[in-house]
Formats: sequence, structure tokens, C-alpha cells
Amino acid sequence: MLDVSRGNLDAMAHIFERYNKRLFNFYFQMIRDKDVCEDMTQTVFYKVMRYRTSYKGGQFVSWIFKIARNVFSDHYQKSKKTINNADLELVAQKNEESKIEKNDNVAHLHQVLKILNKEEKELIILNRFQGIKYDKLAEIVGSSEGAVKVKVHRIIKKLKTVYFETI
Amino acid sequence: MDCKNIEQHIVDYIDRQLASEEAKQVEQHIETCDDCKVLYDETNLLFSAFKNVEEVTPSDKLREGFYKLLEEEKQLLDTKVVQLPKESKEFPWKYAFQVAASIVFVFAGYFFGSHTTRQDTNQEISALQKETIELREGMMLAMIENQSPSKRIQAVSFTESFVKPDVKILEALIERMQYDGNINVRLAAAEALSEFPESAIVKEAFIEALTTQKDPSLQIAIIQFLVNIQEKRAIAPMQQLLEHSDTPDFIKEQVNSGISQII
Repeated sequence: MLDVSRGNLDAMAHIFERYNKRLFNFYFQMIRDKDVCEDMTQTVFYKVMRYRTSYKGGQFVSWIFKIARNVFSDHYQKSKKTINNADLELVAQKNEESKIEKNDNVAHLHQVLKILNKEEKELIILNRFQGIKYDKLAEIVGSSEGAVKVKVHRIIKKLKTVYFETI
Repeated sequence: MDCKNIEQHIVDYIDRQLASEEAKQVEQHIETCDDCKVLYDETNLLFSAFKNVEEVTPSDKLREGFYKLLEEEKQLLDTKVVQLPKESKEFPWKYAFQVAASIVFVFAGYFFGSHTTRQDTNQEISALQKETIELREGMMLAMIENQSPSKRIQAVSFTESFVKPDVKILEALIERMQYDGNINVRLAAAEALSEFPESAIVKEAFIEALTTQKDPSLQIAIIQFLVNIQEKRAIAPMQQLLEHSDTPDFIKEQVNSGISQII
């Protein structure tokens, strides 16, 4: 990425190949709408290119996920305002669910994830699906490692109770 | 380790984030404690559900969109990269020449302007000075005939500013000194005339005045002037003054000391 920030845009292609799937899946776990997720992923890479000079070394994963989170917040704020959009999302979610029904416990997991609020969902997705360790996670959300760890453990506990209650 | 501690460590244990000793303790505890075994199994199950979530592949639209974006950005950067070094590499001769030329023009304009205006103003100033002197002379000549003694004194005092007064002026002053009805005007005229000791007519007028003037203060002023210019011709009229019975004693003293200085 330092290459990119120095003006080597070809390196940007590597970054895209490495992260596009990951970012897309992060968004897809958050909201199960492929089109919106693709748009958001695209926006992330656009921002990475635009603001490449603001990257001053350090953990690139943290940096790109920080951007991804901001993009998601923007989207979230917007969709909150337009109720129509939210409805569409719901419809999209339902469609997705029926498809995934084959894999029972995965479907169940998605169901359970819905009880979490936006921040909890974000943390658990980054930590469990994306496999991002606590230290980097703390960097992304702008918190301390210890606090993040405690939060994640609490979320896991919460998920567990709901998950095994309703199975 | 009790169950509460174990519960906190189970996630890290599954994640293999514990130190080997701690991991061993958790392992042993799970084997012996049924409650914690259940906890461990459940957590594991939950995590396996996470693992079972299949990665979704985004459509080709995303990739296409990205590479289009990248091309656009590259072109933006290329135009920047190509243009900037060109400008910085070449020394801006044209620009430098323009700057130099403008500086030359400014200085040339300044010198030319100051040269011509200096000539003009010098001429103007001398003309003006001449004019004022003429004006003053005219004024002085007009005022010196005034009825009021104070005006005549004022006119006399005008001559102080003249460096080389006209003969007409000197004659007018001499007339004042000799014949003015007011002693103050005569004194002022004598004082004004003493500023021009080089003039021959002034000297003669003083020698003449020495015999004609009877006022002591004027006599003293005349004697002082003649002594100052070391006028030898004044000795004869001075001696006349000494012999004259009307002359006051202090004038005689003045004449005596004056004669000794001239000789």
C-alpha cells in the first residue's frame, strides 16, 4: 500500500484482488443485499485510491476496514432515513434466507445475529468471520485491545444463549 | 481455576490464544467439570457455525467497476505526472526575461523622469526666486515712501534678504538714513546698509553721514561701521567731530578709540 500512496497505482490492483472478497463478505454478513454490498465495496476501493496519501504505514488491514466501516455507517444513516430502502432490504434478506435454508445451523446463526445491534454485529463479524485479532480490531474501532476483547466475549455469550435456546 | 475463570478463557482456548500452561489447566478442567464441558461444546458449535458460513463471491460487476475506476485514476495521475516535471526541469527563460525587462524599464523610466524633472524644476525654482526678489524689491521701494515710520522700517528690513541688492535699493536706503524724519528709520537704514560694506556708494554715504548726522546713536552706528571696514577716508571727518564743540563727550571717546583702531 505504501507503493500506492507514493503514486504506484498498479499496486492498487493487488490490493483489490486481495481484499475485494473479504470486504464484500463483511458487508454481506451485515446486510444481506448483494447489490448494496457491491456498491459499498466499490466505494471503499475508490476511497482507498482517493485518500491513498493519507495512509502513513501501519496495519493496512486496520486502515482499509476503518474505511469500510465509515462507508457502511454512511450507508446505514442513509437507509435509515428512507424507509423504502429498509423495506427492500428486508425483502432481500428474506430471499437470501430461503436459499440458505439448506444449511440449517448457518441459517440459524444468521437468525441469531439479528438480535445484535449494529456495533455488536460489526465486532463479531470482523472477529469471527474475518478472523481479525483483537489488537487490529481495537485499531479499527478506535478502542483498546482489552475493551474489545471483553466486548467480543460478551457478544459470544449472548449469541450462545440465544443460539441454543431456539435451536 | 474455578468455573467462572474457565468460562472467560474458553474462547481464547478455542482460538488457541492461551499460554500452554493455561491451556492445559482449561483442558483438565473441561474433562472433569460437566458444566464447563457443555459450555465448551456450545461455544465450539457456535464457532463451527461461523466457519460453515460460505464466502460469497461478488459478481464481476465489482471487478469491472474497479478496473474502470483504476484506469480513470491512472489517467488523472498521468496527466499530472507528465506535466509537472516538464515545467520544473526547464529553466523559465521566457519568464525570467520578462521580469528582467520589466525591471530595466522601471529603472530607465525612473532615471529619465527624474533627470528631466530635475532640470525643469531647477529652472522653475530659479525663475521663481528671481521673481520673488523682484517682487520684494518693488515692494520695498514702494513701502519706503510710506508715511508710517513703522512701514518704512519694515521696508528697510526687507533688504536683509537681498544678497546683492540693486543700486536703486541702496540709494533708497541711503536716502532714508540721511533724510528720514524718524530717527528709528534712520537707524534701521544704517543697520541695513552696514550689511553691504563692499559697495562704494554705501561707504561714501557713511562718510558723508558722519558729518551731517547729529543724533548720537546714529553717529555711534556710523563710526562702528567705518571702523569695521577700516575706512581711512573717515579719519578727517572724525577729527572734525572731535574739534566740534557740540559733540558729546562719549561720542568723542568713541571717535578716539575708532581713530586708534583705523590707524
